[in-house]
Amino acid sequence: MSAVAPAVRSDFRRDWSKHIFILFFILIELFPLYMMFQVSFKDNSTFIRQPWLPSSPISWHWENWAFAFKLVLPYIANTVFVAVTGTVASLFLAILGAYFFARHKLPCSGLLWAAFLALMLMPGVVNITPLFMLLKSLKLLNTLWALVLVGIAGGQVFNIFVLRNFIEDLPRDLFEAAEVDGASHLQQVVNIVIPMSGPIIGTLAILSFLAMWNDFLLPLIVLRDQDLFTLGVGLIYLDGEYVKQWGQIMAAYFVASIPLIVVFLFTMRLFVRGLSAGAIKG
Amino acid sequence: MAATLSRQKLLREWKLYFFVLPSLVMVLVFSYFPASSAVYHSFFEWAGGDTKQLIGLDNFRRAFHDQVLLDSFLTVSVLIIFNLIQMIPSILLAVLIHRLRSDRWQYIYRVLVVVPMIVPGLVRLFIWKFFFDPNLGALNGVLNFTGLKNVLVWLDHVFGWNVFFANVPIGWLSQPELILPSLFLWGFPWIGAVGVLIFLAGLQSIGQEVYEAAEIDGVGPLGKFIYIELPLILTQVRLSLVLLIVATLGGYGLQLQLLNEYGGPGGRGMVPGLWMYNRAFYAGEFGYACAIGMILFAFILLLTFINNRYVRIDK
Repeated sequence: MSAVAPAVRSDFRRDWSKHIFILFFILIELFPLYMMFQVSFKDNSTFIRQPWLPSSPISWHWENWAFAFKLVLPYIANTVFVAVTGTVASLFLAILGAYFFARHKLPCSGLLWAAFLALMLMPGVVNITPLFMLLKSLKLLNTLWALVLVGIAGGQVFNIFVLRNFIEDLPRDLFEAAEVDGASHLQQVVNIVIPMSGPIIGTLAILSFLAMWNDFLLPLIVLRDQDLFTLGVGLIYLDGEYVKQWGQIMAAYFVASIPLIVVFLFTMRLFVRGLSAGAIKG
Repeated sequence: MAATLSRQKLLREWKLYFFVLPSLVMVLVFSYFPASSAVYHSFFEWAGGDTKQLIGLDNFRRAFHDQVLLDSFLTVSVLIIFNLIQMIPSILLAVLIHRLRSDRWQYIYRVLVVVPMIVPGLVRLFIWKFFFDPNLGALNGVLNFTGLKNVLVWLDHVFGWNVFFANVPIGWLSQPELILPSLFLWGFPWIGAVGVLIFLAGLQSIGQEVYEAAEIDGVGPLGKFIYIELPLILTQVRLSLVLLIVATLGGYGLQLQLLNEYGGPGGRGMVPGLWMYNRAFYAGEFGYACAIGMILFAFILLLTFINNRYVRIDK
């Protein structure tokens, strides 16, 4: 132990100029978070008098946070429903699809693969006008299911693409042994594919969860009732208020970030590792 | 022979088609159908209702004379050039983190880079909108505090921009001349967590001994970057650049929220995607919006083609 500590310290001494640069970048990057946090405890007059430094905890305006929770919690519930349902369903369908492409060459599978790959070239945003009309004729406007379904469809191509490569690299013997034992395809997916591709499924799940969590363009045109607002629309609505109580707004922003903070606390390792490993492969 | 084999396989494994069926149905309904619907309706005058009128290529003819659309393509080209500059800090940060000798610090910084991702993208955008506020915003506060404001005013005098004045707060999002600079500045220092992690993954294959060898040969820090690090992450740099450009070309959420549906004062922030959105949902010209979408699609396709043809991403 005593041998390790000086080594670390001398590394630090030799690298100090790099540390300063890195810290400079990271501090600026973290500055919005700091502002969000400290402003959330102030009312407008405190904030205008002292915008930079946090006020003393005795005079913190907790009512900002009470307001924020009351306002944002229903939005969060809606967003959690959309993002969780969408992510789980999207990945489940993608695993089945990827298994089809990775394990067996059936007639037409080349054609179907091309049909999926072609979508990689198609930018989703360009579709928004006809997509809106489609949802309208399916009577899905002003429902959360519209967001779930579009989210599932949007995730298929990328997820199948990544998972197919991954499943193809799994050892063939495993599948053959399972077939000899009479396992059906679904059993092979559940007992071999899913347990063996945990990290990659985790990474893909986080990415599609984030994508659905952050989306606001589709919810903006699909949702009308305030009961159904997801975070995106809710925050846009809050931004449109005429007289702005910055403390309340910042508290609302913070509350809106809490679910992601929780997700990141549990998956930070997975995320940092998974993304790095995935990047090397693809 | 091959045919009979695949027929046997087909008879045995036909149930497997049900595995791909759900994905296929989703993609057909929510991706292929809207896309073909966009192609079809781009030849119609269509307000979104049941009545539509076939007008041939009129929508496209109109698009080529639509000054707003033509200007918006110019704006988006500028934004794409901004992308090139905005990538530099991420590369620099990844290289610096990689060069640290201590693995523990590397991991700590990697986590710190990811931390800002806990803020939803939209919240980040709104916080920046708040930073741009002329009276309360942090940006003007920092400029005043550091004296950079005086430098800007002085530069204004020298070049005659008529934008910055000594006793007037800078209206970043309300002065037409400052819209493009604001679209450039927002998100400074533009560190993309995913980008940094991907670059770091690319750098991983450089061992400490390579650096030691370079040091013995007297290669400086810049030389190390050009000869050792850059070649190894070039693939990742190209890849994320292409993704960024495609996202910028088709994107409009940033402009819609930071400015408004008309691209802010003077329409300086108008991009093609926003004009499409504007025509469809504010003017009710769905047919014309579909035509703009087609033109945009053609550009993105061309870009992807150029990328695949000339910018080979070799493994």
